[in-house]
Amino acid sequence: MAETLRRVLSAGSAAGPAEESAAEAGPPLLLLGGPGSGKTALLFAAALEVAGEGRGPVLFLSRKPLQSLPLRTGAALDPLRLQKIRFQYPPSTRELFRLLCSAHEARVPAPALLLLDSLEEYLSEHQGPHETAHLAALLLDTAAYFNHRAGPGRGCGLMVALQAQEDADSGDTLQLALLQRYFPACCWLQPGATGTGQRCLRACLEPGGLGPRTEWLIAFQPDGEMTIT
Amino acid sequence: MFSRLKFVFGSSAIQALDLVDRQSITLISSPSGRRVFQVLGSSGKTYTCLASCHYCSCPAFAFSVLRKSDSLLCKHLLAVYLSQVTGACQQLSVSDEQLTDILLTEAEQ
Repeated sequence: MAETLRRVLSAGSAAGPAEESAAEAGPPLLLLGGPGSGKTALLFAAALEVAGEGRGPVLFLSRKPLQSLPLRTGAALDPLRLQKIRFQYPPSTRELFRLLCSAHEARVPAPALLLLDSLEEYLSEHQGPHETAHLAALLLDTAAYFNHRAGPGRGCGLMVALQAQEDADSGDTLQLALLQRYFPACCWLQPGATGTGQRCLRACLEPGGLGPRTEWLIAFQPDGEMTIT
Repeated sequence: MFSRLKFVFGSSAIQALDLVDRQSITLISSPSGRRVFQVLGSSGKTYTCLASCHYCSCPAFAFSVLRKSDSLLCKHLLAVYLSQVTGACQQLSVSDEQLTDILLTEAEQ
């Protein structure tokens, strides 16, 4: 999954998107950052990236509907890509569990990417580590099932956004450490210098395992355009 | 083989082998292709182990594996892995809806 994010973040640079390993879903990825750090925008960019790959649809889960499209340029305006993103809004943790547990009943093509925004909103009701682990494990199990449905070489990626601070208190640190046992790859988003009307972020991707650590600077223009350097 | 298992997993090893011997592990699958393991514990209680990743619904997994991090896995997960190697795993086919209920019962306890 780190590879998809790497492609999203590298697309802005001179190298252009890499074709290799497009079908390789890779380990599940946790997208971490404080409030308003661009997590939803990056999830959405990943959704657009995979929707444009000619593979299966993208399933985007979130507690609340998006108020507006986080990106308003380029691929975000491509109706063919937008049509391939299926948004679902489970209103409670219980409904999210129900959706994941019954994912195999849906008679629709298996998604190529499973996204969940604002995991913290589903964890607040469930404080215990067992429940946190159960939700993480069920997300992995659902993605593994989609993987199995998609067949060899196609795979379903999993990317989950969680509001988190790097200098959090011990309770949050424990919860994050637990989630990272299930999500080997992670990407931290931190606010950077804010320029004239634009918001800057630093994205730091740790793909898990032996992969290289990479950093990008992301700038959001007032018109919603995302530029990456 | 047994002494190595016991070295790595401690007392869980013998309990897990006991579960395998008693054929306590069932692989439940539905026509959709989704699968889940159920293990009948020594107390008569049934625990659910996810097939694709490291998760068991038993209290020992919550305590020793997740909270204290002093075990790698509980006896039920070890029994699932051992039963797959030895082929001593019961098979059960259910409908897609029944599989949802099995996964959900665990979530709503």
